[in-house]
Parts: sequence; C-alpha cells; structure tokens
Amino acid sequence: MTEIRQLDQLKPGDKGKVVKVSGSGAVHRRILDMGVVPGSEIEVERVAPLGDPVEFKLLGYHLSLRKEESQNIHVEVS
Amino acid sequence: MAVEGAVSNRSAIIDYGRDLEKEIATLEGSISKIEALTARYPARWLAVKLLENDSDVKEKVRAIDGGVEIIRQAETSMAHLRSIFGDEAETVIADRRYGFISGVAKKVLRKPAIDRLTSSDKIDNIVTNRVLGIPIFLISMWLVFQFVACSGPYSDWLDGVLAGPICRWGITIIKLISLDGTWVESLWVDGIIAGFAGVMVFVPLLFFLYFALAILEDCGYMARIAFVMDRLMKAIGLHGKSFLPMIIGFGCTVPAIYATRTMREWKDRIVTAQVASLMSCGARLPVYTLFAAVFFADNPGTFILALYLFGIFWAIVIAKLFRSTVFAGGEKAPFVMELPPYRMPTLKGVLIHVWERGAFFFQKAVTIIMAVSIILFFLLNIPWGVSDMRDSLFGKVSATIAPVLAPMGCGNWEAAGSLLTGFIAKEVVVGTMGEIYVAGAQEEAEVEEPTNFFQDLGEILVGFWDATVDTVKSIVSIIPGVNLMDGEEEEEVTRLVAALRERYTPLQAVAFSVFVLLYIPCMVAVAAFRSEFGTKWALFNAVYLTALGWIVSTLIYQVGLLLGF
Repeated sequence: MTEIRQLDQLKPGDKGKVVKVSGSGAVHRRILDMGVVPGSEIEVERVAPLGDPVEFKLLGYHLSLRKEESQNIHVEVS
Repeated sequence: MAVEGAVSNRSAIIDYGRDLEKEIATLEGSISKIEALTARYPARWLAVKLLENDSDVKEKVRAIDGGVEIIRQAETSMAHLRSIFGDEAETVIADRRYGFISGVAKKVLRKPAIDRLTSSDKIDNIVTNRVLGIPIFLISMWLVFQFVACSGPYSDWLDGVLAGPICRWGITIIKLISLDGTWVESLWVDGIIAGFAGVMVFVPLLFFLYFALAILEDCGYMARIAFVMDRLMKAIGLHGKSFLPMIIGFGCTVPAIYATRTMREWKDRIVTAQVASLMSCGARLPVYTLFAAVFFADNPGTFILALYLFGIFWAIVIAKLFRSTVFAGGEKAPFVMELPPYRMPTLKGVLIHVWERGAFFFQKAVTIIMAVSIILFFLLNIPWGVSDMRDSLFGKVSATIAPVLAPMGCGNWEAAGSLLTGFIAKEVVVGTMGEIYVAGAQEEAEVEEPTNFFQDLGEILVGFWDATVDTVKSIVSIIPGVNLMDGEEEEEVTRLVAALRERYTPLQAVAFSVFVLLYIPCMVAVAAFRSEFGTKWALFNAVYLTALGWIVSTLIYQVGLLLGF
C-alpha cells in the first residue's frame, strides 16, 4: 500500500520516492537542481539539534532542507 | 565504485523528449532571427532557460529589442507543456537532465549493492547529534580561539622586527639622503612605523584564524555548523550561513565582512555584515581588559564576558530590526545545501585559503593604514615642535569633540582623543591613553648599539625561531593539564591603571567600554565594508554604529547616575 505525503512529515529512517515538487521561484529551482525531481529516492537522515533543518540522503549524497522547503516535496511512501 | 570507460562527447546534448524538443525547436527558431540575442547567447541554451522560467535570463531578454515577443512565445509554450505534463516545464527539464545523468552513471559506474555506513556518516551521527551537536560546536569554537590566541609570539616578533631592524634600515636611508634629525625621520619612526606596528600585530592573529577556519571548511565541518545553527539564525531573520561570519567577527571584523561572500542572498549578506562588528573583535579586548583591571579587579572575567554578551544582544536586535525595515523582503535564501562527506584537509589547500584571504586583507589595509598614520602624525605634531599632546591640533580636535561625549560621562579631551585614535585600530585606544595619562610612557630609553645588515637579519631569523617555539608550546598547552607557558606582566600598564582609577568612576568606565564596543569599527573594517558593499553602505554602517554607541552609552551613564552609581 502506498500513500503520498509531504516530505516534512517523514521521520528519520523513512524512505520515499519523489512524485511532485510544488512551488516556484529560486528556491524551487534550487531544489530541482539538487536532484530532487520526480522519481528520485529520498531518505530522511536526521534532524538538526534545534529541530530544523533536516538532513536527507539522495543520489548518494547528503542534502539539508528546511521544513518549509521540504513541505513542497511530495513523496510516495510504501 | 569503479569508473568503466568514458562517454563519448557527441551525445553531450541532452534529449529532453519529443514534446519538449518540439517547443525548444520552435523557440530556438524565433530566437535565431534576432541577431542581438544570438550574438550573446547560444539559441538552444536560451530557449531552454526561457522554458525553465529563469528570471535572470528573462530580464536580460526583455531588455533586448524583440525580446518581449520571445518571452510571450515562451510563455505560450510553457502553458502548452503544462497541459501535456501536468507539471511545470522546469520540473520536466530537471527530470530529463537527471535521467540523462543516471543513464551515464549506469553505463560507467559500478556501485556496491549494499549501502554501507561510511565513516562520514559515523562522524555525523556524533557531531550533528541532537544532544551533542551544539556542545561539540561550542568546544570546536573554543579550540579555534585558543589556537588563535597562540599567535601572540609572532605578533611580538613582527612588532620587534618593525620597531628594530626595519625602522633602523629606514633611518639609514634617511641618513644617506641627509634628512636625519628632520621631520622626515620623525614621520618615519613615530608615524609610519608606529602606525604599521599597530596593525601588523594583528596579522599573525588573522593568519591563525584563517588557518583554523580553512581546516574547518576543508574538512566539511563548516557545512555542519550552518546545519546545526540555522534554526537559531532563522529566528533573527538570517541564514545558517550568517553564523560563521559572526563567529569570525569575534576575531576580527574585517575577515567577517569578507566571509559573508558565501551567502547567496544580498540582503542576508549585508545585514550579517552590518552586525558583524557588534561581535566584539579581538582588538577591543585590550580596552576591556584594561578597564576590568582598573575597576572590576575582583571579577574582571565577568565584566569582559558581560560586554561580549551585550554585543551579541545588540547584534540580534539590530539584525532583526534591519531585516524588517531597511533590508526587508528580498527572496528568502533557501537552506538547500549539500553536506559534503568529511575529508582530510590538505596542507596545500589550507595554505592557499590562508594566503588568499590574508594577502587580501594586507593589500586593502596597507594603503589606508599608511594614509591615516600620516594624517595622525601631522595632527599630533602641528603646530610644529609641540610637546604637550593637548596643545597639538589633535588635542584641539579632541577638545572640540569632547562636549558631544559629555552625556555619556566622557566629556574630556583625553577620552575623546583615545576614541579618535581607536578608529585606526581599537586596541590603539589603550596606547593613546597610556601616552596621555602616563607622561613619558612612550619614551623608552633605548640604548641602541650600531648593527649591520647581517646582524639585523640574524636577529629577525632568531626571533622568528623563538616565536615558533613559543607558539608550539602554547598550542600544546591548550591540552588540559599541560602548561608550558609562564605568565608575564607589563609594568607600564600598572601605572596606567593607577592614573585611570583617579580620573574615571566605574560608571564612566562602563559607559566608555560600551561605547568602544559599539561605535564605528576601525578604519580597515570600514574599508573592507566599502569594498564589499559600496561607499553608501559603509557610511551607513559607520554612522548607525556610532549613533547606537552614543545612545546606549548615554542611557547607561544617565540611568546609572539616577540610580546613584
């Protein structure tokens, strides 16, 4: 069973497959440029000590995103 | 992982798929008809950028004749693509690019089947840990400052080289052109050499700081600092990357201003630079230490720490204020940042960093230091042959400014004069006070034996070796429980302490120290600010800080008086 969730709802250790990146402007562009595009596998690695930002693992590297940025990323969780 | 074979160049153009390619081709065709565009940009690249809705490119195209028409056409194409894909064209383009990349990667790269926990991950599990992350960061900052403090012997060595051999060589040249005993000699010794020595003592500190930071940067920890501290900086309207410049500000404001270059968003950048000098720099420490020794001898550390915290407090207040007024709005800088794997920094890489930044500071600083030192020299010596500093032009200028400082309890020409010279470098405030209050303190009886060039050279080299030995000892002494250093005390300072105790009340000392903390940064910092953000914002920086200093110190003094201190 799969369901679509916003990336910021996931917990460390959770994995998902990006289905949609909403939003616009420079931030949106930057997220796409870093490889967060539909189809890529993304895993929540850890949360920063003060609760934000969150570190993710994708394409074999580590990416840090604030919650407000990861909200726009919709992932399919199985 | 292993790379197998190379990909041929001929497939370098990415195939964006039939629907996209059709739109790209049409747009490309229209673009090729406009010569002003093709002269500047490759047509295909431009077509892709427009479909990606790149605001920078759009702006540039709009400025060109016929550009508006092209943009309208691109917008029609984007709408058409949206109806096909149900998503923005830019998403689809990024997607195709990554498709191309993974295709190439699949062909040439063989990965181990299972993802192992790399040593980089293991380090991150500790240093960005929810509980340990911040303490580890604080400890690493403490180590950086301990390390920077070890640069002292080199500062002394540089000071000695400037005041000794270099000064003597200059005098020899002056003698050769028979100008000895004239104002030229005095300009050289009391103006140029003295001015240079004042700033040069900071160069080793800067190089040590840059060295430590380059290591943190090259090993990958710097990105983790931004990761750990971002939440805190966001609260005051800044970015995780603002944190580093502010930390550097504790060493010196000049590199802090340059360190803002890592930030993408101009408004974040300038606000960080505007508050950087509120992070109390190393040069202000001698001033605090002096007043702490005079008036808070029981608890000097608390007084100094309070001043540092007061500076941080104002940095937060001002950053928040500026971010919502003068520098409000602007695109919010994203925190979309790669956390690179940890690497062992190479000595060569670190040294290149240190050299680039250090040399940059040096170049910027030299001319302005030279100019201000010469001006100050003439101010101090006009009318010619003046013996009391009070009667010099400098004394008169200070006396004119003094009434302005009266509301904060420092309305005498001595305080005004010290603060004026503080513009050269903050620690000069202490030197000036020494000269004014301790009569003749500057006239050290120097018994000079004639030396030749080779003896001087020998002295320089031996001095450098001694400084290196001392530095290594003090670095080793950072390790808890190891102490190779023996304490030193300067006698001149104690005379100054006595003189200050007579002339200032503790309340005045607090107001004065706070003013030193807040008012105009030193000339080198102002010059750095100007080179990074332009004359207008450098002036803004100098004026707002001085105004803030005056207001806060006056409040402290007046409220203190009312409370009966």
